[in-house]
Amino acid sequence: MSSHGLLLAAYVPGSSLIHRAPLWLKFLLVVGCGMASFLIADWAVSAVVMTLLCGLFLLSGAGPARLLRAVRPVLPVLLAIGLFQWWQLGAPTAARIVLNVLVCVVAASILTATTPVQALLDGVASLARPFRRFGADPERFALTIAIMLRSIPFVAGAYMDVRDSARARGLERNPRALVLPVFISTVAFARQTGEALAARGLGEPEDPED
Amino acid sequence: MLDRVTVRVSVDGRPAPKTLLEELSLNLTERRIGVIGANGSGKSTLLRLLNGLVPPSDGTVRVDGADTVRAVREVRRRVGFVFTDPLSQLVMPTGREDVELSLRRSIRNAAARRAHAESVLDRFGLLPLADQSIYELSGGERQLLALAAVLAVDPQVLVLDEPSTLLDLRNRELLRRTLAGLRQQVILSTHDLELARDMDRVLVVDDGKVVFDGRAAAAVAHYRDLSAAGLPAPGGGPAGSGLGGLGGELAVPEQAGGRPERAGLEKA
Repeated sequence: MSSHGLLLAAYVPGSSLIHRAPLWLKFLLVVGCGMASFLIADWAVSAVVMTLLCGLFLLSGAGPARLLRAVRPVLPVLLAIGLFQWWQLGAPTAARIVLNVLVCVVAASILTATTPVQALLDGVASLARPFRRFGADPERFALTIAIMLRSIPFVAGAYMDVRDSARARGLERNPRALVLPVFISTVAFARQTGEALAARGLGEPEDPED
Repeated sequence: MLDRVTVRVSVDGRPAPKTLLEELSLNLTERRIGVIGANGSGKSTLLRLLNGLVPPSDGTVRVDGADTVRAVREVRRRVGFVFTDPLSQLVMPTGREDVELSLRRSIRNAAARRAHAESVLDRFGLLPLADQSIYELSGGERQLLALAAVLAVDPQVLVLDEPSTLLDLRNRELLRRTLAGLRQQVILSTHDLELARDMDRVLVVDDGKVVFDGRAAAAVAHYRDLSAAGLPAPGGGPAGSGLGGLGGELAVPEQAGGRPERAGLEKA
């Protein structure tokens, strides 16, 4: 299984300014970039934001190779979207949409490359703590984020494996041969993960005395 | 200590419900207990009962008095479970993070959690690999890591479902030594008969029934005979016709200390 082809950059230990920046600031960056992707109307502004974010990523010391690895899995999809938008709405709109998606991916990669997963989970859990009074379990919330981070590369890897085996059987043009096995292995993975979490007692409601 | 397993497990199926495990009653009190049997015989179902992953259709499973259905959280604190494929149980990208995840409920302070995780990894010789991606570890290292992540919370009982199936010879040996050194009660299913021989007591499961329960050597011999009985003859004859000198009957030596549930098998 080539499921370790990570979509987001894995944590790179370091002591750069970005590593030392408070977690809330990095969260804010990701949320801000997500919102900006809806608000920015000019592709040139998107390009500037993208350049700034790439600069921030490189400032963390994670390196250009990791940056490339983080964005590479989305490039084929973005290429397809870009071409379609170019045909439908013209080049500036296509460029803006593609760049805005890349902005979100790079911003999320800055967060994951400079924050240990446990710190990320602690941060998510403390952000979710105010919702406890409404019955939310902050630890479950954090665990959900962790599972999501783990599942994205799995699904991407499952797709690559299925594509390779479809190619080997000469079925690369058959969408059913690609989609169904990915769907089945994703469901199996979800069941396995759920069972493993249950066996380890993870994700269960908190004890009242905790 | 598993003080009582009195259960039957069946699942919905077509055309009729399928019984995965026939009615059985066991006290599992020995320090090292093995479960052997063919694929699909019910070994995993039996082990999953012990951690509450599978609820019994009838009867109860109790771990030191705690019912695996009514007190499942308590049971899971006491019983750690290791799966055959460590990748299906390691949730985090690196070993350090996965062990820390196990400790999140019990140790709130991040620094203390990290220190404890490092000590656990160090105990298993995994500290140098702590920050490596789980996908970059060898099969043996992953299995050890899965074991470390489960033992980090110090369960009383460790249940392992075919832990050596994906391991090479060297890593199997490493696993055997690691298991031998644990203070926990260990209950495992395996196809590795060498590993089964290390156990104090071995159950042989066949077609959803415990057909033998006794000392390791006798259980392994019983299992070998059982497996041979199910093989077609070299010439393609009917199943069970290849018993040759045994004359179609599989006798279990009395002196081996076993408690055979089925004294012999009739020739098919």
